[in-house]
Amino acid sequence: MKIYDAIVVGSGCAGLAAALEMIIAGKKTLLIEKHNLPGGCASGFCRGRFEFEPSLHELCGVGSKENPGSVRRLMDRYGVKIRWQRVDDCFRCISEYSDGTPMDVTLPSGVDAFIDKMEEYVPGSRKPMEDFFELLRELNDLTAYLESPKISVSHLLKSYKNVFKAAGYSSAEVFDALGLPEKCQDILSVYWSYLGVDMKHLSFFHYASMVYSYVILGAYIPTHTSHEISNAMVERFRSLGGDIKFNCRAEEFIFDGDRCCGVKTNAGDFYADVVFANINPDIIYGKMMPGNLVPAREKKLSAARNRNFGARMFTVYLGLNKTPEELGIKDYSIFIAGTADSEKEFNSLKKIDTNNYSIFLCYNIANPEASPEGTSMCSFTTMFTSAEDWNNVTDEEYFKLKNRLAKKIISNFESKTGIVLTPYIEEISIASPLTFARYLGVPEGSVYGYMTKDWDSILSRIASQGADFPIKSLKPIGTSGQRGDGYSSAYMCGSIVAKAALKESDAKGGKK
Amino acid sequence: MELKLNVGKNGFSDIKKLVSHITEKNRVIKAAPERAVSAVFPINEHAKKLHPDYQTMKVTDIAEHTGADAKTFTLSADKAAYFRAGQYLSVSLNIGGSIVTRPYSISSAPSLSKDGKYKITVRRTQNGFVSDYLLSEIKVGDTLTVSEPLGNFFYEELRDSKNVIAIAGGSGITPFLSMAHAVCDGTENFDLTILYGNKTEESLLFKNELDDISARCPRVKTVYVLSDEEKDGCEHGFITAEIISKYAPENKDCSVFMCGPEAMYRFAEKELVKLGIDRKHLRRELLGVTKNVSANEDYPAECKGKTFSATVKTNTDEKTIPVSADEPILVAIERAGIAAPSRCRSGECGWCRSKLLSGNVYVPKENDEGRRFSDKETGYIHPCATFALSDIVIEVPSTYVNPAE
Repeated sequence: MKIYDAIVVGSGCAGLAAALEMIIAGKKTLLIEKHNLPGGCASGFCRGRFEFEPSLHELCGVGSKENPGSVRRLMDRYGVKIRWQRVDDCFRCISEYSDGTPMDVTLPSGVDAFIDKMEEYVPGSRKPMEDFFELLRELNDLTAYLESPKISVSHLLKSYKNVFKAAGYSSAEVFDALGLPEKCQDILSVYWSYLGVDMKHLSFFHYASMVYSYVILGAYIPTHTSHEISNAMVERFRSLGGDIKFNCRAEEFIFDGDRCCGVKTNAGDFYADVVFANINPDIIYGKMMPGNLVPAREKKLSAARNRNFGARMFTVYLGLNKTPEELGIKDYSIFIAGTADSEKEFNSLKKIDTNNYSIFLCYNIANPEASPEGTSMCSFTTMFTSAEDWNNVTDEEYFKLKNRLAKKIISNFESKTGIVLTPYIEEISIASPLTFARYLGVPEGSVYGYMTKDWDSILSRIASQGADFPIKSLKPIGTSGQRGDGYSSAYMCGSIVAKAALKESDAKGGKK
Repeated sequence: MELKLNVGKNGFSDIKKLVSHITEKNRVIKAAPERAVSAVFPINEHAKKLHPDYQTMKVTDIAEHTGADAKTFTLSADKAAYFRAGQYLSVSLNIGGSIVTRPYSISSAPSLSKDGKYKITVRRTQNGFVSDYLLSEIKVGDTLTVSEPLGNFFYEELRDSKNVIAIAGGSGITPFLSMAHAVCDGTENFDLTILYGNKTEESLLFKNELDDISARCPRVKTVYVLSDEEKDGCEHGFITAEIISKYAPENKDCSVFMCGPEAMYRFAEKELVKLGIDRKHLRRELLGVTKNVSANEDYPAECKGKTFSATVKTNTDEKTIPVSADEPILVAIERAGIAAPSRCRSGECGWCRSKLLSGNVYVPKENDEGRRFSDKETGYIHPCATFALSDIVIEVPSTYVNPAE
């Protein structure tokens, strides 16, 4: 029987970060992964001569070497080296403004350029847009300050007045208060889908942290799919003496009284002082531990969340036998939406037939090495805000449905942009919520965890981190944690929870 | 800079609003019922049904193919995972302590899997350790462990032409028989012309079944191309550019799917170049790994015929075994009775992805498209299509399949 200081179950983004955090602190750490490769969503898969990126659109929090964001700082501290490629523009969006008029806008990154362009599209937006970014800047300073070792409440209240005025409200409420014109709000709302919650129910704090990172720090992608990131993290973990086991599936957690002390797997039982579970809490509580040990508050929290999961993904991956220039693709990302009204759009994404939403990406625009010479690699992503239409699909319908939906998304794109893709499809792969459920084990194929909405916003998650997940030595991490969905959030979550565990173990006087 | 920002009433009420995120959460939790958490989700259950870890199936029928030294096994269970016509099953076997897999295309219709049935066809191969075993040992009533349906060798409406020309050689007819069934019963929607190459009419597999489908379904056409005899109604010779263009649409709007032995691929590919069929319209089923690796131009000749030692670390064990330079590392691992994952045995699917901890290896170029870029940079290999060039230390993952002896 092998005893570890820490076991990390699941090598998703949060699991990888937690594993590195523990091994760097000198803890004997075991990382187990049920698949034969790491990363969860952060992976890569090959079809023909293409290696496809399964999930990453653009990574928040990287920033340049000169002005690094939280993710770059984290990777630097871990000693993990990634070849990043910068995504220059923010997005193009083809949609309809809330008033029904057509929208086709392209926004650059960088605050000044972004504001200038916005003024061009929506005259009179300059002043409130400047205020908007001022607020974002202050919020970012605050987030950095909160990472400092000593925090003074009086400094907080004095230096971050604007943030405290806005942080408690929804994005839509703050937009109104800033006096942003409706069309300007419509354009700023484009990013809602990256968090999966409409602007009326999305905390401004959450939205603003993401937009700050995209517009000011710039977005980045790895050169060779997210597998490059996950692999680099695993190799670093290995080089520091960490044990990793692939195709090793956690069946259930082992308890000593009410304290979790290990995990049962297909490769044997493993024991440790602390276990990190990169797993959705409903799965942990529902089938990986004795029901009588699930704390009452957690049962009630699960009931209150009532399976209100965020986006269930549907992605079409295309390897095309022409270059972006030949195809006429200029943009890295094009959002195609029925309407810019995020609440209306959110509702239309509940059903397969009313879903007309997609995000198109052409990786080669940001990364010349994305695919072999003479080709391009693209993807379309849409999401479902309800599981309803996917719950009762028969096997025969399933393959046809995937195809029908992919066809609809591609032809919608072709007619809206005039860019023709279909005759050039050399490789295609289609992932549905079932595919994500299959590979990640996430409930309903939702990669966003529980919706970060209203009372379950990241603010309330951060504030209740002492109360949530109270089982001793068992620490859920990932998108259901305090930072919500997204790669950067998951990395930060893994790091923060692991650091907290290290503090607890120090307080107990280290290893017993 | 303080902004004139009034979202709510300024001052204390903003802080109160911020705090309300916690109080509201506590209120909602308090009001919620205390009930057992369920981890059963219909989407996840469906995914599991389509993609089980493995399937245990009973052999319920064995049909002999006279003249071809082959048998078709009908595998049955209460449930069989649904599939796309063209996919294969990886059969796991424990033959005298060697834990091995072999990929076999499913020859039956996807619709038959609704009755819990698949058919696979095994033809005897030269020195075929596994085909010998299956053909001589397996009887009706025996149990076989098979994978979920696998592979990407199926028709994709968005990618492929509506006209599919199938080039089949020997037992490579099996995926096309499944496709023919699927076109015939309306599961798939394309026109299928099968060019089936074989030595003689007698050694053709499934001739009656193919003739029957072609007679019933105008969308399926079968042309037999016999190399060793001339027969009425059959083409004579090999599947050349001339024969392909004879049966392809005049405007050459077609997708070519190929499945057969290595020699057939090498021949047909040269012929297809003559026709100017682009890469997009050319699909090739699993290539396997060459039997004669040292014949490859970039193979280091000095290693030919050598035997090295491989230290194989699994999640539970460590063993040092001999590995011949002429065989894929996976074969040595299997022979030693170490349970290691594998599926396509062509380097493509990556199921056997393992970490090379030390030593040098050779990967044939034609088998290396399925390996991820960063895996190539960090020493991850697919042992099913990788050859040792020195003593090696390798870490292989666990497998979820443990076939009965």
